[in-house]
Amino acid sequence: MAEHIIESIFRFLPEIALTVTLVAAVVADLILKERNRNVAWVVLAGLVVTALLVLRQAGWNESIFSDMIAVDPFAVFFKMLLVIAGLFIVLFSVKSRELEQNITRIGEYYMLITGVIFGMFLMVGATNLLLMYLAFELTSISSYVLAGFTKSLRKSAEASMKYIIYGAVSSGFLIYGISMLVGITGAIDIYGVRDALQAGVEQQSALYVAVIMIIVGFSYKITAVPFHFWAPDVYEGAPVTITTFLATASKVAGFAMMIRFFRISFMESGALSVPGLDGFIAIVPWNIILAIFAALTMLAANLMALWQENIKRLLAYSSIAHAGFILMGLALLTDEGISAMMIYLAIYLFMNMGAFFVVLLVTNKLDSELISAYEGLGHRSPFLSVAMTIFLVALAGFPPTAGFIAKVYIFGATVSAGWIWLVAVAGLATIISLFYYIRVVRNMFLVDPEESSEPVILDYGSTAILVLLLIPVLLLGVYFTPIVTWAKDAVTMFGM
Amino acid sequence: MDLFAVVFYLFAILIIGSATLMVFSKNIVHSAFALMFTLGGLAVFYALLYAGFVAVTQLLVYVGGILVLILFGVMLTTQGYFEKVKTRTVNLVPATIFTAIVGVLLISVFVSTDWTLAPLRDGESTMTALGELLMTDFMLPFQVAGVLLLLAMIGAVLMASRTRTPKSPGSSYGSPVSSPDSPDSSSQSPDSSSAGEESHKT
Repeated sequence: MAEHIIESIFRFLPEIALTVTLVAAVVADLILKERNRNVAWVVLAGLVVTALLVLRQAGWNESIFSDMIAVDPFAVFFKMLLVIAGLFIVLFSVKSRELEQNITRIGEYYMLITGVIFGMFLMVGATNLLLMYLAFELTSISSYVLAGFTKSLRKSAEASMKYIIYGAVSSGFLIYGISMLVGITGAIDIYGVRDALQAGVEQQSALYVAVIMIIVGFSYKITAVPFHFWAPDVYEGAPVTITTFLATASKVAGFAMMIRFFRISFMESGALSVPGLDGFIAIVPWNIILAIFAALTMLAANLMALWQENIKRLLAYSSIAHAGFILMGLALLTDEGISAMMIYLAIYLFMNMGAFFVVLLVTNKLDSELISAYEGLGHRSPFLSVAMTIFLVALAGFPPTAGFIAKVYIFGATVSAGWIWLVAVAGLATIISLFYYIRVVRNMFLVDPEESSEPVILDYGSTAILVLLLIPVLLLGVYFTPIVTWAKDAVTMFGM
Repeated sequence: MDLFAVVFYLFAILIIGSATLMVFSKNIVHSAFALMFTLGGLAVFYALLYAGFVAVTQLLVYVGGILVLILFGVMLTTQGYFEKVKTRTVNLVPATIFTAIVGVLLISVFVSTDWTLAPLRDGESTMTALGELLMTDFMLPFQVAGVLLLLAMIGAVLMASRTRTPKSPGSSYGSPVSSPDSPDSSSQSPDSSSAGEESHKT
């Protein structure tokens, strides 16, 4: 046992590095002067070390700590995405004027961000139901605090409050579902659940209720439509940096956990297209339920986004709609669908962070989050406007950006699985989404600025970050082989 | 009916009854005491299942710690001890229908299901086994729970502490983004006045 634990610890180094960073952030906050910058650099250094340690894990396929958590290509892929998101969020935070008001508490801010990333690392790897729930809570509790970080602002406090209430209810559903699943199968890890289900369960009704509750719990995290109500308010009220974090990293981790849970527990190893459970899919068609979820999410979110006046709310609805597109991949129950989801999530991360970073910069300069504030921005800051246009075109899914590649793969997987109606709905949703993305672009370029307005000038740091985000969005649009190959290889999970 | 069943049903009724009282009571102190009976009843359940350690922990942490903390919080924050909580019931009809459906569904599922039951092992102390498991198979969740508590604690302090906005040039970014009410200045004044009161008292 001792050897196993020691061996496990050496396979767990990225997470340990994050925990050390977390503690270092607190200590640095106590001893360093001019705290904002310095704590940010400490956390940034910690994240870089974590990224290197994650890279070392490439190709591993192990289960550590007595089947608690898996270190497999799937987890490594998502950990890499999360650590990249974390690095960008810290850089955004350094540039944010919104946070400067709360400079005295900034050390805790960075500490909590590290904590959330730690929780997400566990979410993408966890194979034990107990650890899954703990990781889910670790991520959620830190996010509640971060959403209300600028708590003297009324909107931020409201966001935090709503997030706590919705979050508590949904994690209640999740743990209730998990407890019922444990009661039916007698297993506490997903491999045990799979074995028990393959051996056959007589009592189907309890299984259905358990699975429905678990789906509800996950749906909240990924903002699928009947459970998305918290998202627009929370995204609007939270500081822009945290909104970005919740809309990208949090969703990526939620999807990763959902994919692993459903794939290992409920689908037969190897051939995903054949449901592992005789009768499990026959009576209640889970894939059709998931497909309906996806279709509803895409349509409803895109329609609601049309009426938004606040750019953060608009992007919030847009990110809900993207969750719908991604969810299509899970409904297919194929390896192809899952790798398409992974490609989509990776690209979505960059384009969404880019759009939110432009929002952050505009808010810094113009003190407004309204879409009308973007009027004439094309004349005041051509670079910023062109960057925003590229991100929005990518989000809409048009060439030559990476967003197009993401959509091509997920649509292609859906078509080849024979879900023509789902692709039709997705196409319709894409066309609707074009209206509101283009509205922002029109405001920037086709409306003349007011006479008195001055040019908006960016500092070098912000420009550099923006370029760093533009490169993947444009490059992956034309040279997408690496990400596609990586995602296809990373479908491998431990125990499949 | 054996003694086990009698005790079980007795305390089940106590738990459900006091939980109902807790939810419906308008008096926050009554609610807190009702919660005490719910939590205490759960401790009895654990004891009935021979989970001695969990039962003791339940008593120590929930009844002894959290509940006393709640009562202290109520006493220190409210004007009178028996202040009525302002509650309002909204969406009564949809909520009732939803609850009824969920209730019927859950009860029917629980009745019809053949649950996997672990054998009841009496007469053994669970303490050693529990400690061993926490240090071997469940070491990771044990450590993660520690990080979770650390984050929750710091987060709670962060949310509860008073904000001190620095008067440095950085705070020129005063008015909140696209929000007309400027809570910064409004929240500042009661804070400083209450801080003044405190120093006056001491």
